[in-house]
Amino acid sequence: MAKHNIPEVKANWDITPGIWGMSIDMDVCTGCQACVAACAMENNITFVGETDSGYGRAMHWIRIEHTWEGEYPDVAATSFQPVLCQQCGNAPCEPVCPVFASVHSQSEDLNLQVYNRCVGTRYCANNCPYQVRVFNFRDYDRPEPLPNQLNPDVTVRRRGIMEKCTFCIQRIHKGQDLAESEGRDVRDGEVVPACAQACPADAIVFGRLDDPESRVSIMAKNGRGVKLLEDLDTLPRVTYLQEEKTHGRTG
Amino acid sequence: MSDKTMLLALFPDLDPAAHAVERLREMGVTDDHVNIISGIPVTDAMLGRPKQPSNVPSLALAGAFGGACLGAFLAFGVPNLYPLDVGGQPLFPGPPSIVVMFEMTMLGMLISTFLGVFLDSRFPSYTPKEYVAEISDGKIAILIECQPEEEADIETAMTKLGAESVKHAEAQTL
Amino acid sequence: MAVLANSAPHAQPHSHPTEQDHEAHLREEHLMLDPRPRGEMNAMVMESMQTTSWKFWVVTAILVVVVAVCLVYYWGLMISVGLGIAGVNRPIYWGIFLVNTVFWIGISHAGTFVSALLRVFKAEFRRPFTRAAELMTTFGLVQAGLSIFMHMGRVWLAYWLFPYPNERGLWPNFHSPLSWDFLAINTYLLSSTMYLFLPLIPDLAMARDRSTGWRKVLYRVLALGFRGTEGEWTHLRFAMNLFAFAILPVMFSVHTIVSWDFAAAMRPGWSSTIFGPYFVIGALQSGLSAVAMVLIVVRGTMKNMKYFIRPEHLDALGKLMLIISMAWAYFFFNDYMVQWYNGDKWTDILLRFHEEGPLGWMWYAMLFFNIVVPWLVLWNKNFRRNPTILFIVGFLVNVAMWFERYIIIPTSLSINRFPFTYQFYKPNVEIPLSIGTVALFVLLYMLASRIIPLVPVWEVQEGQMAHSLRKYGKETVVTVRDLD
Repeated sequence: MAKHNIPEVKANWDITPGIWGMSIDMDVCTGCQACVAACAMENNITFVGETDSGYGRAMHWIRIEHTWEGEYPDVAATSFQPVLCQQCGNAPCEPVCPVFASVHSQSEDLNLQVYNRCVGTRYCANNCPYQVRVFNFRDYDRPEPLPNQLNPDVTVRRRGIMEKCTFCIQRIHKGQDLAESEGRDVRDGEVVPACAQACPADAIVFGRLDDPESRVSIMAKNGRGVKLLEDLDTLPRVTYLQEEKTHGRTG
Repeated sequence: MSDKTMLLALFPDLDPAAHAVERLREMGVTDDHVNIISGIPVTDAMLGRPKQPSNVPSLALAGAFGGACLGAFLAFGVPNLYPLDVGGQPLFPGPPSIVVMFEMTMLGMLISTFLGVFLDSRFPSYTPKEYVAEISDGKIAILIECQPEEEADIETAMTKLGAESVKHAEAQTL
Repeated sequence: MAVLANSAPHAQPHSHPTEQDHEAHLREEHLMLDPRPRGEMNAMVMESMQTTSWKFWVVTAILVVVVAVCLVYYWGLMISVGLGIAGVNRPIYWGIFLVNTVFWIGISHAGTFVSALLRVFKAEFRRPFTRAAELMTTFGLVQAGLSIFMHMGRVWLAYWLFPYPNERGLWPNFHSPLSWDFLAINTYLLSSTMYLFLPLIPDLAMARDRSTGWRKVLYRVLALGFRGTEGEWTHLRFAMNLFAFAILPVMFSVHTIVSWDFAAAMRPGWSSTIFGPYFVIGALQSGLSAVAMVLIVVRGTMKNMKYFIRPEHLDALGKLMLIISMAWAYFFFNDYMVQWYNGDKWTDILLRFHEEGPLGWMWYAMLFFNIVVPWLVLWNKNFRRNPTILFIVGFLVNVAMWFERYIIIPTSLSINRFPFTYQFYKPNVEIPLSIGTVALFVLLYMLASRIIPLVPVWEVQEGQMAHSLRKYGKETVVTVRDLD
């Protein structure tokens, strides 16, 4: 088992950039929600319905936040920000789960949500500053023929369980298994989560942050790169590339 | 030794009972042959009795120690056995360990005190015992274990000092 | 019979009429100076326990129906259908269930305060109502436990919070304040039940000696064969003293740990370092008011209780309520002032939401009923001694404290650092479930009053024995012997 090297005083911690990470170019994102749809299909996310969605129970693991300046029709600088689980290196959702359903994976440096262990106290969701965790408030219907669409690589969750974006860990494992069976390392760009795969503008880039040559590492070092709520010291693994300043609306 | 008899002298109040205890000592009845049964706690000092030994303090301390050990096991032993990383906190987090150990220490101490009372008083015990119902009405009873020859003297002495009744203590189901 | 040689009227030398009036007044005012034969007091307590009017059974029947519908039915429904029928959503993942949990734990602190803290400080006025208060602790914790189970998504797996060896090698996570909650609340529940039971043993023995039929069997079993020998009293007294001292840190730690459920989280308005003592004082605030309410009801509805619970006790409770209300105001202001002064952008938004949002009325009501009402009413001795007024004040304080927890939990959770997720909390099935817990509390208490002697008669007699009146110059003063 890998060493547990987190010291008593956080300031002494040798912080690594992480293993798996993502960069999202907000300048390129059009807010089309293809990533939301793809994620829902890949990860067997239930359809909650209009009433519950309107009451804040939508189960999207990634959401597009639309912000703008000004009042219609003089709206300027609209921007779309896809917010998903940041897989924090210092995740506030992890220490507060009383049953260890939210733990840190050392091998992938991701935040794991263990569905079978969750008893539904929802403390993790309260403590997530990005509010990216969602809860199965009911056993929602999946009328025929929707069950045909389910992804066999991903568990179907029942009521009472928290869930969140996993960086498509099933695809990460598939990629790693394939590479291992072929006796090589995972190539950059080989593992693509559903959101990155579906994005028509290629705004989402995924890869190894510990490989300085990978596309995502280069994007992360871009001058436009910021992290969400960086001052909270959650060490998120997602870098957002801010827009170049534009003059009013495009087109 | 010839068989002893148990006398039960019932006193209406604290003062006559205290005098009676003194008188019994003068008559040669040793302290461990005398027992006081009362409806309220009369301290040893009130009746001039020797201090009663009790194991409850040491049991409380032992329980506190046991609880602390349990707390230490939960805080330090378990993460050692089954380590899991959470939230950038060290495997043996300082403040949470203190909380866990404190609670378990208090729990251990209080449970062992409670059980210590049971143990020391031989609770629960439903065998017939020497008792009269008037005791819970506020009377003070003195149980005297004596030789049959001394019986009459003790009876006279107690009655003279104000005992409401002096009779053979019968073990009755409570 | 208690020895109060210099207070028995016939033993007094002839004195000035007002002297005797003064003494008669003292006797009427103070239970400790008004001893009756123990046998008589025993009979009074037994009578009050066994005399049940038809009105009692009507109220009990109504409560049973309320509990069956509001608690059992709706909770069963929620377990089978999921938390969707409750009002929780993103971002308000915790709602009224947690409010109720904190509320009931707060109420449960009353019992410990009365029976432990007042015992430690040798406040003699506590003697007749320690058990009535301790019963509130046990039953309050039951409701808190139920509320915790209610809020869980998969409550049938709740036993996973218990540390036990298992083949999956999974133990609870002691980094989590919820695990500390589990340990602390269970410790507190066990400790206060044990502390309820220990002083109850001699009274159970008394009840055993004075009852027949099924009661005699019950008390015989529960009294464990207690007689009152020196040894038994020694062990019991040491244990009760130890419990009184030891349960105080437990009491403080329990509500502090509950407050850390919120303070350890990084939500605006929650990660406040003052939450520990703030919650403890809040617990005492709602608890003491609840004790006053319960005592007034007990005094008014149960036979013979007017001898044991007198206006002096209401007076003392009223004074405590006033002092704790001031302490609460101090801690509230501490929390508020620091947030207002240098809180970040999100804390500012939160404070504005509290005061000017749709639930602003709740915030103002909380302050009015917690501070203004006690401060205006409870300084006056006559108001404190008036059962109706004290009951109303106690009730309003409890309402305000429930509002306080509502503001801290669902209202504060509406605001976070991502305005895109802001929502408003609309409670749904929480309402009948809350009513159900209140009904269950009252029901349990009423049933207990039929089975458990509510007044610890031996403690009252012990206190009366220690009190006497003596002359100090021309004045008659009360003297209390230190019994330990």
